Amino acid sequence: MNPVRHRLRDPITGLLFVLPMLVLFLIFKIFPTLGAAGMSLTNWNIGGEWDFIGADNYTRLVNDPNFWSSLRATLVYTAIYVPLVVLVSLGTALLLNAIVFMRGLFRGILFLPYVTSFVFAGLIWRWIYEFDGLINGLLAKLDIAPVAFMERSELVLPALALVSCWKGFGYSMLILLAGLKAIPGSYLEAARVDGASAWQRFRSITLPLLKPALFFVLVIETIASFQVFDTIYVMTGGGPAKASYTLIYGIFERGFRFWEFGYAATWGMVLFAVVLVVSLIQRRFVGRENT
Amino acid sequence: MTLTAARPAAARTGRPAPAPRRRGRRWALYTLLTVMSLLTMGPFVAMLVVALSPRGEPTLPARWPASLTFDNIAQVLNASGFAEWTINSLVYSAVSVVIILLTASMAGYAFAKKRFPGRDAMLWTFLATMMVPFQATLIPLYVLVSDFGGADTFWGLIVPTLANSQAVFLMRQFILGLPDELFDAAKVDGASELRVYWTIVVPLTKPILATLGVFVFLWHWNDFLWPLVISQSDATRTLTVGLTVLKTEEMQWATLMSSAAVSAVPCLLVFFLLQRYLVNSIAMTGLK
Repeated sequence: MNPVRHRLRDPITGLLFVLPMLVLFLIFKIFPTLGAAGMSLTNWNIGGEWDFIGADNYTRLVNDPNFWSSLRATLVYTAIYVPLVVLVSLGTALLLNAIVFMRGLFRGILFLPYVTSFVFAGLIWRWIYEFDGLINGLLAKLDIAPVAFMERSELVLPALALVSCWKGFGYSMLILLAGLKAIPGSYLEAARVDGASAWQRFRSITLPLLKPALFFVLVIETIASFQVFDTIYVMTGGGPAKASYTLIYGIFERGFRFWEFGYAATWGMVLFAVVLVVSLIQRRFVGRENT
Repeated sequence: MTLTAARPAAARTGRPAPAPRRRGRRWALYTLLTVMSLLTMGPFVAMLVVALSPRGEPTLPARWPASLTFDNIAQVLNASGFAEWTINSLVYSAVSVVIILLTASMAGYAFAKKRFPGRDAMLWTFLATMMVPFQATLIPLYVLVSDFGGADTFWGLIVPTLANSQAVFLMRQFILGLPDELFDAAKVDGASELRVYWTIVVPLTKPILATLGVFVFLWHWNDFLWPLVISQSDATRTLTVGLTVLKTEEMQWATLMSSAAVSAVPCLLVFFLLQRYLVNSIAMTGLK
């Protein structure tokens, strides 16, 4: 074969093979990303007319009490959801790792909710939390007065975090289980021979060796918690009194209820910044792990 | 199995296994796991019971229903829109699976085995877009698609969701591991590039394509925000969005639970048929 032709054939076919995905990316990922930054500097509205208004949207954002309360709701939700889901997935992963008989069955059951949608989870749990729903029905049997989970500002975020945890912990559980399986049994056995207690073995062998997997789980769950939307849309609509009005809900409402596209894009930029910071922290730490 | 695993360990350490303590520990483990499983399955079971309860009769949470019926399910299946939403969800998911598998494996192959100008820059750009949350680009994406007449159309629903960097990366990583000699040999034999792709790349990546296909299906079947903003009528509305429309029109819990149950059937089918596959691939690929 002619080596020159060969050398030419490679770049051209390479480009042709990438082309379909590249076009999709340019139009639907890169252009909208740049567009979001651009739109946040305009007063773009539903009619499609717009003027460049500089940083006005950002000034408005900083003075918007809705924005600060939504940022607060998002962070409170994250502060509840992330520890909850990490504890549940770590706990179940440790349990699964300690058994042999019927492990596959338990693993399957615990993973099951992961394949369903957040809309599905939201609908079921709306009924569970309802005034005449499952939890209050059980409480009534114990002669406890019903609790309006979806109508009390201090309960709505924990209640939503529990729904997401139920739906999603199976994923992190599998990641941590794989991490646990990768820990050589001889380490733990040696520690046992030396008389280390179960807690000491967990504390000084399992936990340090599980750190990369735990860190991965921590980061993806944190990012997931910033993006919670479906359950809020189905269960609370941002209420009560905006207690569950998160950043994404703000983007959605500004954009598709008030049709203020420019201002909604500004909310989106904040979300982008928050997620970017978490991703960069992850990259930094993961980079350090590898070197 | 537990016994045979425990015995050699005890023999190695030279002391007898503390049998009663260990049995107690095993009891505790299985009790805890059973409790967690019941808590996980509880909502599913309660949903099914309510969905199958006859209308107007007492059911959970007050008491177990006296009899079960498929009336609610049948009613949901015949309700206006439901069949349409289901078909739309199927189209949305199936078309996306086919196109993403094709374009991502082609791009993955090129990124892994071809040299072309700008390759690494492109790869880094793809990687960087993973850090941009979809919701941050929602507004410009909506404006872009609706300006081109894509609102409430199938192409407007499907095409923007096909740019999937996770899929490209997964394919690239997998194809990187295939030996170069395979491709060289095919080239020496004079096979065309398309032939190499179709007869070497595709068959050899079948396991990873299947995994990716399952994930893309679940992502799209369960997707909500994009269909919510871009589909405005039953013509393109997907099942997840339909469920929330149903919510506002009909407040019967039996109906809601029945439609939720029906909507989850494809996911549960995927789960029961491909569970082992799905479970093993998550830790391996990190797909989410």
